[in-house]
Amino acid sequence: MWRLFLTDAPLVERRGVARDMWVLGFAAPEIAASVKAGQFVNIGLRLGSLLRRPFSVYRAEGDRIEVVLKAVGVGTAQMLAMREGDVASCLGPLGCGFDLSRPAKSVTLVSGGLGVAPMPLAVRDARAAGLHVTWVHGARTADELCSETDGDDVILATDDGSAGFAGTVVAAAPDADLVLACGPNRMLAAVSQRWPQAQVAVETYMGCGTGVCLGCAVPLTGGGYDRACTEGPVYLAADVDWQALPSHLSYAVSA
Amino acid sequence: MTSDLSVEVGGLELRGPVLAASGTFGYGTEVPLLERRALGAMVSKGIFLKPRAGTAPPRIAETPSGMLNAIGLQGPGVDGLIRDYAPKWAAWDFPVLVNINGESAAEYGELSARLDGVPGVAGFEINISCPNVEQGGMYFGNDPRAAASVTEAVRRRTKLPVWVKLTPMVSDIGIIARAVEAAGADALSAVNTFVGMSMDLNAYQPRLSFRTGGLSGPAIRPLAVHLAHQAARAVDIPVIGVGGIMRAEDALEFLVAGCRAVQVGTATFVNPNAIAEVHDGIAAFMAAKGFASLSELPRYLPRD
Repeated sequence: MWRLFLTDAPLVERRGVARDMWVLGFAAPEIAASVKAGQFVNIGLRLGSLLRRPFSVYRAEGDRIEVVLKAVGVGTAQMLAMREGDVASCLGPLGCGFDLSRPAKSVTLVSGGLGVAPMPLAVRDARAAGLHVTWVHGARTADELCSETDGDDVILATDDGSAGFAGTVVAAAPDADLVLACGPNRMLAAVSQRWPQAQVAVETYMGCGTGVCLGCAVPLTGGGYDRACTEGPVYLAADVDWQALPSHLSYAVSA
Repeated sequence: MTSDLSVEVGGLELRGPVLAASGTFGYGTEVPLLERRALGAMVSKGIFLKPRAGTAPPRIAETPSGMLNAIGLQGPGVDGLIRDYAPKWAAWDFPVLVNINGESAAEYGELSARLDGVPGVAGFEINISCPNVEQGGMYFGNDPRAAASVTEAVRRRTKLPVWVKLTPMVSDIGIIARAVEAAGADALSAVNTFVGMSMDLNAYQPRLSFRTGGLSGPAIRPLAVHLAHQAARAVDIPVIGVGGIMRAEDALEFLVAGCRAVQVGTATFVNPNAIAEVHDGIAAFMAAKGFASLSELPRYLPRD
């Protein structure tokens, strides 16, 4: 069984990576040492919202983990108001990440908007597995594209054609032995149409993050629900009943 | 000094007064728990005779100092519970009560009979207060005759401790409390979640697919303290206070209001160590005030 850490993590860095999109770095050595691509941390602030908020780990280096966020609500606005040294409570690593152990020579990473979140770690783990990495990243418009895309090939796409391919990431992406995707659920539904075997990291409301509250139900094509926090957040695209999964959270997420 | 925090609650000797509330601790096996040394007892996620898929998402919505949930008692049914969880409980050093549910009094009785004698099952908490099922649930809990008939149906089928979890959605909780006491309950858990609703201003519809949900968290604590107190004044059996406990001081409010023990729920979602921290805080309070045991803690419980 994996180990779970609960740690008060001081903010050590903040940098902008797109318009209104920020990377926050926290000192959380145990989580940084053990997190895999696609896993997440559940972050709470002492005087913040009641429930923690889940964030895919964006990078992990040395004793530091990074998460990426936009100010979409009171909680994220509070996180962006943190100063260096301010402490956030981090619980993690949580969930099952991407599976890069399958026999493959190439991987395509498909991300929309904040769906960049798990991809830098996916690049790290895919390189360690000896894969050729193509990262296809899209947003509504050029200045919403994350500036930190990486890989053997990088393909950008924008809905308005202001940078890169004019159209969706799904249309822009090349085939590969493995496809990993993260973004708004409607984008992931399109991924599922093209690559039923893709591994997709879904977004849901979440309560505890540890498997007990059953709040993060993901409807499955085979019937019933399981937990994004525990069996997920990474699913085989064909296994998710996209019609029954709420297509967006109550805040706007760039695709 | 070290204070004795053990308590006797409705037929069970507990090493501490802080229990895990149903639906907030799963079946106790889900996560590598950080600390369970302080757990007085665990009440399992609510179970029906048959497996249940639960409600469609979204199932939860955060509200000011609280959260709404409509999980719909997703679970494996009694066969899955007996096969997958009870054997693990049998080896644990704290008792596990099963939160039981049904669509009729006969179903509750059948469920308790199936579980009676299963190693690992130390008792029952009858759920007549779940707001998130179409049949049964809360509807038994706001009618004293229905509440009593469910309690009797279980009482007849088991010798294990029988606790009854009450709904706050009543005009006089004392009437329900007395009815289930007379029907053979050993203790009461007060209270389950309040029915609430929240609207999505983008979709112009409720934020939860079930439309309504159960409100928990610190938002309900003063309401719950009052209802637990009212229940404690109405009966002679022990009352276990539940509702929005985040810290030791919150738990102590319930104890002073007349409760024998408490359950911690939503706090565990936020902090997996909440139960241990509440327990340790109660111990520190007792020591600082010079109480040797919980029975010395003054209770505000005037009799009508």
